[in-house]
Parts: sequence; structure tokens; C-alpha cells
Amino acid sequence: MERSSVAFDQNLSGAADFPALLRRKGLLASVAIPPMPQAGIPQKTWQPTEATTILAFKFSGGVLVAGDRRATAGNTVVYDRADKVLEIDRQSIMAIAGVPATAWEMARVLEHSFQYFRRTQLQEMSVDGKVRALSKLLRDNFGFVMQGVGVVVPIFATYDSHPKPEARLYFYDAMGAQFEAADYAATGSGSPAVRGILYYENNWGKKPLHKLSEEEAVSVALRALDTAAESDTSTGGVDRGGKIYPIIKIVSREGITTLPESKIAAVFKETVA
Amino acid sequence: MIEEPYRWVEAIANRREYIEAQLAPGSPIAAVGYRDGILFLTVGQTRQKLFEIYDRIAMGAIGHPGDIERLRMAAIELASTEGFTRSAADVSLRRLVHYSLSPVMKSAFEQVYGAPYLARMLFAEVGESPNEDLFLRVEYDGEIATNGATYAQARQDFAVLSGTRQSRELMEAFLKSQHAPDASFELALNSALDAWSIGHISLQASDANGQPDQAAVLKHRQEQLAIRGIEAAVLERDASRAIRYRSLSDTELRSLIHE
Repeated sequence: MERSSVAFDQNLSGAADFPALLRRKGLLASVAIPPMPQAGIPQKTWQPTEATTILAFKFSGGVLVAGDRRATAGNTVVYDRADKVLEIDRQSIMAIAGVPATAWEMARVLEHSFQYFRRTQLQEMSVDGKVRALSKLLRDNFGFVMQGVGVVVPIFATYDSHPKPEARLYFYDAMGAQFEAADYAATGSGSPAVRGILYYENNWGKKPLHKLSEEEAVSVALRALDTAAESDTSTGGVDRGGKIYPIIKIVSREGITTLPESKIAAVFKETVA
Repeated sequence: MIEEPYRWVEAIANRREYIEAQLAPGSPIAAVGYRDGILFLTVGQTRQKLFEIYDRIAMGAIGHPGDIERLRMAAIELASTEGFTRSAADVSLRRLVHYSLSPVMKSAFEQVYGAPYLARMLFAEVGESPNEDLFLRVEYDGEIATNGATYAQARQDFAVLSGTRQSRELMEAFLKSQHAPDASFELALNSALDAWSIGHISLQASDANGQPDQAAVLKHRQEQLAIRGIEAAVLERDASRAIRYRSLSDTELRSLIHE
């Protein structure tokens, strides 16, 4: 008679890996293998199509994360009220540039992963663990990126209480490499302009970014997005006619605050328009 | 054994007796609904007994830690995958317990060559109003019990779990007469603590039947709190947050206890 095996495959990381659980149940697409280059068949080159602009920087009240509202398909604007700044848990935000279907699915997997970890392991996932979890999702997705669909380049902002309380900001590349940003990060098609502005403000502005008040920070974010929209057709910036403002959220020790549109409108009217 | 039904019945009876004896020393758990949510409470020394299952669902359990862990994991897995594929609003305690946990526990209990689950669990799901709160107790044999609520009339204000039937019934009788569903948190905390004490007295002195008097309950409670810690958690009714579970620390509760 065959003896049943008593396995220790549970309870350490294995059991707490939510994407693995979803794949086991057939609820999440399996990891796609990048296509092998073959002689005679023209290579399909990967087009970076992260058509949007998102930015984040540290200021006196934590991390500000802002994103425009435009969603495009090629030359067409499909939606002008897209929300690309997503709350993952009480203290983490993922802002997305890239293909919305993949990005929103990733955000959903991530959100459930953190909860699942806390519930099963009876402790909060560490910031390093969370940053790594997103990195792994991007890595798993890279096969699709190479096939020409589903590129996602996110920013991740969170508040860490260990070893000392501080806001943390990360940006990623499409393969899943993570980089911790000291002051600011921006991705998407409009990001070169934004990066220029944030670099300039940080070095030669009235104050470095980390010393800005909330109102000053909002003003810088709005100006940066508006500048990006000036030359990048995929970035919505601020829609003056339709009164559509970017989404701005702040991560601080107290958690996440979504700035009300009225507040953004007031700052815009006073310092940008 | 299948050709000998009598032996199967006997084996089940033995198994029931064995499990009841194993569960008998389990410290009681009380779950009481109040105005702003549901409070889970027990007093213990070592293992954690109260757990978050999903946004609006919590669990308390007594039994073997290994079995509790397997059941807890199963419940979290089921709720999490349902919440992921559909939405958090589609995760229902009634479905989780009736269609998933209970059948598995019954099979394990009745397959006499395998091991049964040595656990007794108490689940609660917080609703928008106290009327919609749901409490379910699941036994090691898959039996599902509520304290008198029927399918058509689900109103319940509390549920309890203990090592013995006598202890549980005394706790239920106490809460039925003493607990009001629209009570404040402080009142709910004190009735839950009294219910725990009544259940615990009964476990320690199994010959005593009937409710102990108020002075005896107070004395027992003071003695126990001097040597043990309060483990408690709430499911908050406040809908502004998705995740309603919050565990409470012993120190923040002690100041609210009526002496």
C-alpha cells in the first residue's frame, strides 16, 4: 500500500502567494513565454505605448501621486475620465501607465495579494515584500509585452513604518526591475517633460520638492501635467472646457487622501490657469 | 465495515465521544452584535483564537490548532478567490459555510478510516444594520447551528461557542436575557465578558447547573483577568471602509470593563 506523503508545502510563502493560488484555480492567465526570434520571420518590435502621464514626488506631507485622465487607443481618445491612480491598500498607491486592461488586473491582483497575505499569515506584508510582489507581476507579464500586448509601467508609493516612519516611492520598467526614487518619479509618454520640470523645480525652484506645502505640491503637479499635455497628445492634462482635473492622491502616515476636485480646481485657478 | 452498518454507527458514536472529550476544555468565545458592529471576545493565555476571514467575515475557533489552521486557510482561500473573480459583495458567509465548509467537514467526520476535523467554529458576517448580521456555528461533523434563528427569520443578536453543550447553553441563556442588539460598544463588551465567565465557570465545575449569581460571575471574571489576557476583535458596521475587521488590544479594553 502506498503511504500518503505528509508534505510541508504550505504556510511559508507558498501558501501566501495569491497569484499562484489564482493560477492553480485557473483564474489568472499563466505566465506567457516571450516568442523566440526565428530566422526568416520578420521580428515584431516592441512599441512602448504607455500613452499617458503619471508622476509622483515626495513633499512635506508625504508622497503626492498624480495622473491625467485621458485613455487613448492609437490616435483616438476613448475616455477622458480614466482613473490611473489606484489605491491598493490603506497606505499604498499604484499609478499606471500602459495598457489599462492589464494594469487594472495587476492592481486587482496586488490588492488581493496584500489582503490575502495579511489574513493567512496574520501579519502585514513588509514594504519590500509589496514592492517585490508588483515586480513579479510585471516579470510574469513580460511575455505578453514581447508579443506586443499589455505593457505596463507603474509607479508604486507607500508609507513604511519600519525601520523608521517614512514615505517610499518606486518606479519600474516593463520587465519588472524596481528602482527606489529619492525625490520624484514619472512614467508614460508625457514623462520626459515632467521629469524635466521636476528636476528643475527640485534643484532651482523656490524650494526643493520635499519642502513644498500641500498646496505648492498640487500646483507643481498641475503645471507639470499641463506641460506634458502641451506636446503629448496622449496626455489629458487639465481639460479647461470640460472642467476635468487630474486625479491627485497623497500617501502619508495617516493613510491615503484623495484630493477633492474642488480643492484641485481652486489651486488650478489661482496658480496655473 | 460497509457491510456491517452496526459497526459503522458504533465507530461514529465512538468518534463523536472522542472529539467531544477533546473539545471540552476549550475556552468559550462570545460574538455579540451591537450598534456599530459585531464584537468577538474570548479570554485566553496562549493561542490566537479569533481570525479575519474576509472584508466582513470573522471566525473564532476551538480545537486542534492544526485542524483550525486547515479550515481557516480553506475559508480564506474560498472567500478571496470569490472576492477576486466577482466582487467583495458576492462573498457570502451563508454560501461559504453551507456549500463549502460543512460538506467537507461532514465527509471527513463520517469517513471512519480518515481523520476528522477536531474543531468547532463560530463565524459572523456584519451587515448594514443589526438585522442583517449573520452568526453561524459549525460543528466538527459539519452541523450548522444558529441560536434559534430560522431561514425565514434570520434576526440574531449574538452567538457563542464553548467546550461543552451545558456551558454554551448557559451563555446563550444569559445573552438572551441580558444583551440588547442596539447596545453601545462598552455594554456589549461587558455582556460578552460576563457570558464568557458564565461559560468558563460551567467548564470548570461541570456538576453545577443553572446560572451562577452575579457576584460569582464578577469574582470569577476578576480572578481570570488577573492571570489571562482578553482577546477581542470587531467587525465594524461603518461602510466607508471595505475592510471591517479590527483586532483590539487587551490594554485598550481593560479601561472599559465595569468593576
